[in-house]
Amino acid sequence: MTLHLLHRHVLEDHLAGFETSPNPNHVSVVRRPVILSVLAHGDLEAFAGRLAAFSTMSARFCGPGEWLVVGSAAGADELTDRLGEVAGLSVCDQSDGKVVMAISGPSVRKILAKCVAVDLHQDVFAEGEGANMLCCHVACHLARTGADAFEIIVPRSFAGSVFEELMEMGREYALTASFAQS
Amino acid sequence: MASLITCPHCGTRPKEEFSIRGAAAPRRPSAGDRDEVWYAYVYVRDNPKGLTQEYWHHAAGCRRFLVVERDTLTHEVFGVTDAAALTRKEAAE
Ligand SMILES: [Zn+2]
Repeated sequence: MTLHLLHRHVLEDHLAGFETSPNPNHVSVVRRPVILSVLAHGDLEAFAGRLAAFSTMSARFCGPGEWLVVGSAAGADELTDRLGEVAGLSVCDQSDGKVVMAISGPSVRKILAKCVAVDLHQDVFAEGEGANMLCCHVACHLARTGADAFEIIVPRSFAGSVFEELMEMGREYALTASFAQS
Repeated sequence: MASLITCPHCGTRPKEEFSIRGAAAPRRPSAGDRDEVWYAYVYVRDNPKGLTQEYWHHAAGCRRFLVVERDTLTHEVFGVTDAAALTRKEAAE
């Protein structure tokens, strides 16, 4: 059983009390994400295949032999155990150290164009792809989860700054934010 | 300075994501080499006008060391290779 010391979300003060009904462009903050840092050594192609075979999580590419595994809170312990059983994989729980923000809507690429310096066109950054990059000057991980949907994983201590800048950039597109309903 | 670097792992990225770690051409001498050889390896660097090979650390991306071959005069980038892959290739030759 993982003991979560974070009973209060780091973005609580940025979000609580400001809830409105979500607009088409919306940021959804996951309250209790499960994020594992996974490092592999050996045949990296084979590990990528094995990680893709897990249905209860998504493995986000960070670099050669390195992934961020994002899963649902319900199966956190099982996921850690199952990954731990794979020989050659090192697993480290990062759930308390990272914040997940899901941003979606018709203007999402216009908003993100002001936050990251990476081409997010469908042809070069397709659905299912992800990479480490600077987002609002902070080293983040950005993944495309849909045609107009992205997920940003930021270090916890930078989450407030990135969140505020994201909302600032989204203001002209009426970007709203709330905690995800789970 | 070259402002867009195409990382073999992350794709085309702005130079702000990288930190330049110095010339990639000098080869580390063996432990028993003369002091002069070590002095040259540690301290003596050319400041080339033209083609140069440098280590670039992709600090905000894949965090890998890359070898960037670029022209200091025209800012043109000729190639970006993962440093570990390059070393393995050289060792095999
Ligand atoms: Zn990279």
